[in-house]
Amino acid sequence: MTTGTPSASGPATAEELRSRPVRFAVVGTGGMGGTHARNLAGSPEAEVTWLVDVDLDRANALAVDIGGKVTADMEEAFASDDVDIALIALPTGLHRMGVEAAAKHKKHVFCEKPIARTNEDARAMVQICKDAGVQLMIGHVVRFFPEYMRIKEELEAGTLGRVGLIRGFRVNPPVMERSPWFADVEKSGGVVLDLMIHEIDTFRWFFGEVERVYAHGLSFTDWHTKRDHSVASIRFRNGVIAHCEASWAHSAFRTSVEVAGEHGLIRQSSFDGATLTLEQSTGVTYEGIGQQSKAFTYMRPTNVPPHLRELLAFIDALRTGAPSPVTGEEGTRTLMVANAVLDSMRENRPIFFNEDGSVREA
Amino acid sequence: MTEPKTTVRVAILSFAHMHAYAYAAALTTRPGVELVAIADDNEERGTSAAEQFGTTWVADYHDVIGRDDVDAVVICSENIHHKAMTIAAAEARKDVLCEKPLATTVEDAQAMVDACKQHGVKLQTAFPVRFNSSIVALREAIRNGTIGETLTIVARNPGTCPGSWFVDPELSGGGAVIDHTVHVVDALRWIYDAEFTEVYAEIDTRMHDIKGDDTGLLMLKMSNGVPVSLDTSWSRPSNWPIWGGVTIDVIGEGGVLFANAFNDTYEMAEDRTPSYAWKPVEVSGDPEMIASFIDAVRNDTEPLVTGEDGLRAVQVALCAYESARTNAPVQIPSA
Repeated sequence: MTTGTPSASGPATAEELRSRPVRFAVVGTGGMGGTHARNLAGSPEAEVTWLVDVDLDRANALAVDIGGKVTADMEEAFASDDVDIALIALPTGLHRMGVEAAAKHKKHVFCEKPIARTNEDARAMVQICKDAGVQLMIGHVVRFFPEYMRIKEELEAGTLGRVGLIRGFRVNPPVMERSPWFADVEKSGGVVLDLMIHEIDTFRWFFGEVERVYAHGLSFTDWHTKRDHSVASIRFRNGVIAHCEASWAHSAFRTSVEVAGEHGLIRQSSFDGATLTLEQSTGVTYEGIGQQSKAFTYMRPTNVPPHLRELLAFIDALRTGAPSPVTGEEGTRTLMVANAVLDSMRENRPIFFNEDGSVREA
Repeated sequence: MTEPKTTVRVAILSFAHMHAYAYAAALTTRPGVELVAIADDNEERGTSAAEQFGTTWVADYHDVIGRDDVDAVVICSENIHHKAMTIAAAEARKDVLCEKPLATTVEDAQAMVDACKQHGVKLQTAFPVRFNSSIVALREAIRNGTIGETLTIVARNPGTCPGSWFVDPELSGGGAVIDHTVHVVDALRWIYDAEFTEVYAEIDTRMHDIKGDDTGLLMLKMSNGVPVSLDTSWSRPSNWPIWGGVTIDVIGEGGVLFANAFNDTYEMAEDRTPSYAWKPVEVSGDPEMIASFIDAVRNDTEPLVTGEDGLRAVQVALCAYESARTNAPVQIPSA
């Protein structure tokens, strides 16, 4: 990577951004980066000016479809005048490097979740964006799924009264064969930092800060290279008890949420709530077991995909001078809870938090 | 070994627990069983139940357990009274089927087990979930290796708040946790031939204006190393289409088994209020459990579910309460 010269001019202003489509440099063109780039290319509010990837073939293939300049050097993209927002969709451990480079060039930053692997990196990223005067948004996309938006509204309207228990369920087939870096828990944070972080963030959005966590899971067992699964018991400061289940041991991607309160119960699931279901005739073969299970794909097509909705919300915020829809501080608080879940699992003890979100020393 | 009894004569002691109605129905529809009396200190409840099931009502259970025409008793009183009734029945040499939870303390449960042993009578704890066809099939699938090694378990036994004495810790020994922990704990002990060794729990009263707890989340470990989460909450609103249910998700190396014990239902919508329910297609659990108890009495064999099983399950619930008080994992004492 070359060292670009920091931009002398400041980040794109609200006025500038109101006058034209907002220009993105998408860094990392794998699963999430590719999704974001395609969504942005299809929106009249945005333009993808750069695709950045060390895998140039992958970036070039995407550029054929949606346009944009291609480079392996993110600083080349960030240093150019035709970028308003740097979209960081790199493996988690590289988020800090990407965000720091973008901030140095005075680009607003959208960073995929989790904000970082370590709490320390997350805090540093928040500080550097603050110092550079750029806005940072973390891609906690579940806040932009309509079903969770409706639940948030019901909770704010007080429909359920005092909430007792919330249960979140987010399961996937094992991903380690497709993306081996996930099997390295120290690097990836396993299923907790990939999947459970959604429930942690969304439930924090619903109920505020966390009092304590206790967790079970496979992330620190010999199974973790083949299967990962974790259950966390989370107690919020407002008294709500949460059960979060995240899995890389099921055979299809599924989510569900259930909230029980004194006046009623809300339940929603991706499978019961699907409006289109694909049942594949060939199943997933589990290595060494020889058993097949049918794979189901549940879909609920929406007019605005949640992954685009979150980027449009960031664009709106930048155009109106509103705060980032999901700030770096929020992403950091969520990460701190997720890391506490991992610590609890490893040490088999509850982890308690101070009011400021820091972990209370045992 | 005594001669097998042709007709087994049973009395039900108290209808305080609503399961008594299901047990009475199972007893009175089974050939070779006679429901000879219902004892209940609540005259209205006792006489009405006696009329419904075609038997006689007696106010004081002591007057029933001394009778020669009673072979066995089914105890469905408030939890706190299980001990006195069981010990009295044991002293009168009657076999006992006692509603769960077996008792409200481990000491009481132990006294009941000891009394029944001392007097040579059977003590079965009423755990119908073990007899439910879905749970029986789950056990077979797991033991046949259908999904390989079990990695972790996510279980639920939620329900509607039963109100009445269930929400008064003086009579029930707690609330939702003591009421709902024992079913799944017993089923898993049976499926895996394993004990529960540790529990961490979050327990509170949040959804109802009651003294007992209504929200419970238990994080358990079994002696085979498998972690289990268990939701015991009375989280279903009063107009939920079914009282609750038992679900056990077993995550294995080769797949996942989802057991839903009371999912064999049909949807029923009527043009009245409440208008919508999930009704059972076939009741599974209670009839098989009653049949098993009757067989044990008739053939003088050890019940499939013992008093010791009831004690172990209660102990897990009580350790969960201790964990919630101390906010720390609690080691569950071994037998």
